[in-house]
Amino acid sequence: MKFSKSPVLAQAVPAWRARMVLVVLLAGFLTLLARSLYLQGFNNEFLKVKGEARYERVLEVSATRGRISDRHGEVLAVSTPVKSIWAIPEDAKLQPAQARDLAHLLELDGRELNRKLASDRDFVFVKRQISPDLAEKVAALNLPGIHEQEEYRRYYPGGEVTAHLLGFTGAEDAGQEGVELTFNKSLSGKPGSRRVIKDRRGNVVEDVESIKPPQEGKDMTLAVDDKIQYLAYSNLKQAVEQNKAKAGGIVVLDARTGEVLALANLPTYNPNNREGLIGAQLRNRALTDTFEPGSTMKPFTAALAIEKGNYRYDTLIDTAPGRMTIGNATIHDTHSNGLITVAQVIQKSSNVGAAKMALSLPPEAMWTMFDNLNFGTPLKLGFPGEVGGRLRPWKRWQAIDQATMAYGNGISVTLIQLAHAYLAFARDGDLIPLSLTRVDVPPQSGKPVFSAQTAHEVRAMLEMVVGPGGTAPRAQVPGYRVAGKTGTAHKLEGGGYVNRYVASFVGFAPASDPRLIIAVMIDEPSTGVYYGGEVAAPVFAQVMAGALRTLGIAQDAPVRPLQVANAPAAREEM
Amino acid sequence: MNSITSSYRLGGTRQSPSEVDPWLLWSAIGLLVFGLVMVYSASIATAEGSRFTGFQSSYFLVRHGVFLAVGLVAGLVTFQIPLRLWQQMAPWLFVSGVVLLALVLIPHVGRAVNGAQRWIPLGLVNLQPSELMKLAAVLYAADYTTRKLADMNSFRRGFVPMAIVMVLVGALLLREPDFGAFVVIISIAMGILFLGGINVRLFSILFLFLMVAFVVLIWISPYRRERLFGFMDPWQDAYGKGYQLSHALIAFGRGELFGVGLGASVEKLFYLPEAHTDFLLAVIAEELGFFGVLAVVGMFALLVQRCFVIGRQSLSLDRIFGGLYAQGLGIWFGVQSFINMGVNMGLLPTKGLTLPLMSFGGSGVLANCAALAILLRVDYENRQLMRGQKI
Repeated sequence: MKFSKSPVLAQAVPAWRARMVLVVLLAGFLTLLARSLYLQGFNNEFLKVKGEARYERVLEVSATRGRISDRHGEVLAVSTPVKSIWAIPEDAKLQPAQARDLAHLLELDGRELNRKLASDRDFVFVKRQISPDLAEKVAALNLPGIHEQEEYRRYYPGGEVTAHLLGFTGAEDAGQEGVELTFNKSLSGKPGSRRVIKDRRGNVVEDVESIKPPQEGKDMTLAVDDKIQYLAYSNLKQAVEQNKAKAGGIVVLDARTGEVLALANLPTYNPNNREGLIGAQLRNRALTDTFEPGSTMKPFTAALAIEKGNYRYDTLIDTAPGRMTIGNATIHDTHSNGLITVAQVIQKSSNVGAAKMALSLPPEAMWTMFDNLNFGTPLKLGFPGEVGGRLRPWKRWQAIDQATMAYGNGISVTLIQLAHAYLAFARDGDLIPLSLTRVDVPPQSGKPVFSAQTAHEVRAMLEMVVGPGGTAPRAQVPGYRVAGKTGTAHKLEGGGYVNRYVASFVGFAPASDPRLIIAVMIDEPSTGVYYGGEVAAPVFAQVMAGALRTLGIAQDAPVRPLQVANAPAAREEM
Repeated sequence: MNSITSSYRLGGTRQSPSEVDPWLLWSAIGLLVFGLVMVYSASIATAEGSRFTGFQSSYFLVRHGVFLAVGLVAGLVTFQIPLRLWQQMAPWLFVSGVVLLALVLIPHVGRAVNGAQRWIPLGLVNLQPSELMKLAAVLYAADYTTRKLADMNSFRRGFVPMAIVMVLVGALLLREPDFGAFVVIISIAMGILFLGGINVRLFSILFLFLMVAFVVLIWISPYRRERLFGFMDPWQDAYGKGYQLSHALIAFGRGELFGVGLGASVEKLFYLPEAHTDFLLAVIAEELGFFGVLAVVGMFALLVQRCFVIGRQSLSLDRIFGGLYAQGLGIWFGVQSFINMGVNMGLLPTKGLTLPLMSFGGSGVLANCAALAILLRVDYENRQLMRGQKI
């Protein structure tokens, strides 16, 4: 018999009650275990699904944006990893010394930092896009409420030199201008996704699986040549500064492939630091701004006149007495050139001569030629704001319209359209489309505009422009035969011509087998010199000389000093 | 071992005066240490991510560790005090507890968190009178029943005085409100009266009355009714009223049999509120799985069983106060841990009750340690008596 059961110890307190209570409590514990086993061993799938719905998230994995390089593989735009420092102002209660350290590291004004941290928002950027090294130093301070996140920053090694060509990316790494916008789709790739577990504050705590790997952005090789681009930009810049011009533009094309080897505008901007950027800097003038080209149009008029059989290169035209009246308007040359050939009309840039040729042509034929040369419609390179210029329908042309258009008034074009149209002369009268990307297989022939014969004849005339007695001896390049045409046009303002000018020069070399076309435009030179032959032609010559040398193109002219450069150039007509 | 056994048998020498029930001791120490580890694991993310803790990940670990140390010292001191003194002090301790419960309701003296005014701020720490009141209730009810043993069949003399006292305490607790403590304390008082031999018919009527009262209490308070409905179907309003419980259940489901691993809980990452206090078991269930829960339930079951064993032993030695105290303590730990775990598993409506010995909280740990120390004293004195020694 157990001691506790001894009748000697008859208790005042009944023992069965304690046993009952204990049994009830232990039964309770057993119930708990049964419930736990049900939840964890049987109903767990349902609960896990519920859990996944709460904290599993599908995250986008951003694709790295493709690199942009020049035709030789020189990097023009690249995405580099950077860090951004952000804060939860409510948590970021910094000691004055801590705030000082942080401001010092980030090169921020102490007061500005305090203002940011005093914000009543939940999230503020303290500083965006700093180098990973600097971010590490900030992390080492171990400050409460200060966090960092990884981002990509687009870096343009060329800075302002390639600004207009490349454009830039904006928020979310999307292209906003230039090539970045034109080829945005292929550059940006396709973001992938992965499944993660997030804590309630949104931090990823576990990677569950990758659903779709990101499709990285494609690298792209542009047609542009880094060295020529730099040449073009720096010479243009020098000319714009020297002539105190408002703006300027330059386009370099490969005559065989239609590739854009260089494209620059002034004023420009630094795409790596776009603070305080204004609209004027942003404009890709070579594509978005039209101007009345002036005399650079005359060769087209001459070409069409020859093409139609009305004229030959040596047909004489009487330009005396240096003016010509059509209806109630009068066309002027600066001085009377007398009886000159078609070639001399181009060489001396006679307005009267060009007008006379134009008037011998049916308006429709002229319009068709302009249209074939792609005037009046955008080139559709894909750049934002690309325009087509102004080409009115021929049915509304008056005789005076036709006459002035012959020398580039009453029609407006962009610089790149002009350069493109000169392809017809640099090639055998045919036009090929321009390309921003490198062309590995050049098109054999394009859309015919003129016959090869005509093109060759005009080419010879354009060579004379650069030669003795022409308007642009300063466009000469030692060792090469150069062909080109100057343009000097009054600017149109408020419906009338004003005494401000656009000086331009379009030409190509070597003239015996044209490889490069360069078009230069200087807007409002304001030092008193404003002729295309004096303002734009030197830029052409310097860039062409450097580019030909860079490309190692064989010389086609005997090396001899051309003293004519000192002789006064013929003044072109405006 | 041999010498101890022989001395036990001889019962004469003084070589083993500190011997206590090893099962009780180790289950209690096991729960305390396990609790410390899990409090750290459950709180690490919230501590690190909160401005109130100064972003220190070990904020709760350090505090809980200090509470345990203080509890241990308090337990050692408590153990030295003879049971006779505890019985003498019981009414006074109970009165002190009632005074504290009244104090906590005074504006500016008590502090409210989440709409419940349960804490008295004392500089570094906050005192939670209801935790201490549970211990006082066990002592008082055991003392009362011991004194009124002869009147246990009388409604007027045996039951009414206790009922009046409990109505007073209950009213104070419901004012806070602390419905969980109310249920535990009423269970202790009624349980000890029942164990003390109160008339069965009387007790049944009383039990029925209490049931009705509970239902009424729940129905008249929208706050408690909401909690009740949240528990019935947490998925119906899973992001509102059922938010906490649904996350606790997800934690159980994620844990499966063996858990996701210590420290790997996702629920504790700001999803499950009160992970280191009331919902500690959910984190255990997620990280250590069913077997983690089994260990906790097993240790509590062992602890409660030892309470009743010691109590029976004490009663059989005619030490009524000690016996009722021990079994009352068993009811306390049993009921509170059952309710807490039941809430975690969605078996019972959500209420603010901690897991004894394990959850974070200074007052709770302190009261639990002191209560266990008194139980060990009961056991110690039993053993001394059985050896024929004086206490």
